[in-house]
Amino acid sequence: MSNEAVISAQRVTKRFGTQVVFEDVSLDVHKKEVVAIIGPSGAGKSTFIRCVNQLHPFNGGTLEVLGHTLTGGGPPPSREVLQDIRTRVGMVFQTFNLFPHLSVVNNIILAPREVKKIPRPRAVEQAMELLAMVGLEHKAEMFPRRLSGGEQQRVAICRALAMDPEIMLFDEPTSMLDPELVGEVLAAIRRLARQGMTMLLVTHEMQFAKEVADTVVIMADHHIVEQGRAAEVLDAPATERAQVFLRRILKPAEVDEVGEVAPARLRGRL
Amino acid sequence: MQAMFSAWVQYLPQLLKGVGVTLELTGLSLVVAVVFGFILALARLSRIRGLDLLATWYVEIIRAIPVLILLFMAYYSLGQVGIALSGMTAAVVSLGGFYATQYGEIFRGAILSIDRGQTEAAAALGLPSSVTMRRVILPQAFFAILPPATNQLSNLIKDTSLVFTISLADLMYQTYAALSINFLPMDMLLLAGVIYFIFYLVIAKFLGRWELNVQRSRY
Amino acid sequence: MHIPILNIPLLYSGAIAQGAIKDLMVTIISTILSFILGTLGATARLYGPKLVKTVVYWYVEIIRGLPAILQLFIIYYGFTQWGIDFSPLTAALIWLVAYGTGYGVEIFRSGIIDVPQGQWEAASALGLSRTMTMFRIIVPQAYVAMLPPLTSFVVLQLKNTTLLYLVAYSDIMYQARLGTDATEQPGILYLMAALAYLIMSLAIGRLGYRLERRAAAYR
Repeated sequence: MSNEAVISAQRVTKRFGTQVVFEDVSLDVHKKEVVAIIGPSGAGKSTFIRCVNQLHPFNGGTLEVLGHTLTGGGPPPSREVLQDIRTRVGMVFQTFNLFPHLSVVNNIILAPREVKKIPRPRAVEQAMELLAMVGLEHKAEMFPRRLSGGEQQRVAICRALAMDPEIMLFDEPTSMLDPELVGEVLAAIRRLARQGMTMLLVTHEMQFAKEVADTVVIMADHHIVEQGRAAEVLDAPATERAQVFLRRILKPAEVDEVGEVAPARLRGRL
Repeated sequence: MQAMFSAWVQYLPQLLKGVGVTLELTGLSLVVAVVFGFILALARLSRIRGLDLLATWYVEIIRAIPVLILLFMAYYSLGQVGIALSGMTAAVVSLGGFYATQYGEIFRGAILSIDRGQTEAAAALGLPSSVTMRRVILPQAFFAILPPATNQLSNLIKDTSLVFTISLADLMYQTYAALSINFLPMDMLLLAGVIYFIFYLVIAKFLGRWELNVQRSRY
Repeated sequence: MHIPILNIPLLYSGAIAQGAIKDLMVTIISTILSFILGTLGATARLYGPKLVKTVVYWYVEIIRGLPAILQLFIIYYGFTQWGIDFSPLTAALIWLVAYGTGYGVEIFRSGIIDVPQGQWEAASALGLSRTMTMFRIIVPQAYVAMLPPLTSFVVLQLKNTTLLYLVAYSDIMYQARLGTDATEQPGILYLMAALAYLIMSLAIGRLGYRLERRAAAYR
């Protein structure tokens, strides 16, 4: 891992009115590093990574992204800066957000054609390579609605990669998926990590975070409560807040099982 | 009954002369309404303070005034302050100006109905807002626009009959002219009714059917 | 005769106000009547025998398909051909109610359809009869859903009254036209007419919004 930080947040703070979304978030993402942000819902994780590509403005602190310095509460960045950041930073959303009126391949080539002015044949060729990488080249002409959630999310990854980004942001990429479809999406992200892509991801998949992430950041109650090397943070968290969170995280499995069993038992009786 | 049909046959040509004016008026007003309506929608959605307020006020005020009064203001009142419009122009200005508020609200509603994730995804890909509008928002909004837009089109055709009050020789005017000569008001009005109703059925039913097919084959 | 423009509001605001009261009166009466008839029509359209359903369907289509002026003229002029002569007030009311009923049926019908099927199921599971369910469970919910379209419906009826001057009913437009003939100042007089309608439309809109907020409280 080189030491060059491509994202550097210094005490970044975001509020909606008087309500604090997150406060004093400081973290670095280095080139080729994979950073996972975990934590309970409502901690401000998703909003934070949306600040990185300026889908949301923020109120305080500074955020350096690929050499551009964004200042909280200051004037919004110029159109050129915004354009440069967004072209070089790719993003994958929780809800996929594919364009429903465009076929898979047209989803992928839209931005390369419109922004980078790449001629169509070359853009299509590149899109097909990306689709082949995630095993979906046979779905190129289909419309998003015909695809499963897992397939849609893999297409969304291809769409972001088609811009040849230097950093990828993942916003809970698997939390809207049925359990049996999570694996295929994680496999695609894992492959990217292995190829050395710089990534900042928000996830609920602990095992996955432990496996692919170099650094894990735990956010709770609008603050970073712990950050460090993945294995250390996840196996032996130092702060009590992190310990409580990690213990809780293990519980939902049991809850799920009861939830599954109960209706079946009821049906049996009726 | 027999008498009515022979009166219909005799006066149909005169009424059909008016149909040309009615259609011309509808076409021109529709163009004005759609173009101006789109501008109004963009203005209301824009974050330029003042511009959105101006558009909002325009929509709220114009919608609250009957079209007939707008027509009289365009035709008589503007003339008084030195802007003399021909009957046709006054009609297109008032009908177009009024229906622009209807189309503007349809466009605005359709654009707002697009999921926020779509604009976020487009922004994250670095698409400029003009491209996002053209390639992402409008194609999706189109399907939400079609049904209310055809509905307003049939309202527009009906409202063109108001120009009879400023003596533009449309279908309604020709009908009135005919019934003043032959004293067969019911026969003439029913004939005009049949013609207007055919327009209505064509727009509401055929366009409606076509829309349904478009919707069904969607994506 | 030339009257200084600034004297006109003073001279004619009384007449315009009188016209406004007459407009409001026919609007209110016709709204109440069309509301009742519309409710009955919608029930017939949804639950009546097939023939009744068809008749109501085509009635609604014809009211929606023909221009307002044409409908008014059929009642006022058309019927004279068959020896039936309505006074301006009668013709105005008949038309506004006939027109309003057509729109009322559609508003009420979609209001009823929008009540989830689960409400019917829940009511019948509790042993309520169909009539009981209709009037105690479905209709009250439908009325709430109908408030926004109902508000625009009342405004539409009010705006329709502009046409009544064509059958010599002495409404706002009638007064404005009389004034224009006398003073040759169409600018200020139609502006006054527009203002009168603007105020009334906005007031109805406000009232509807208030009612909606109150009715939606249980949601």
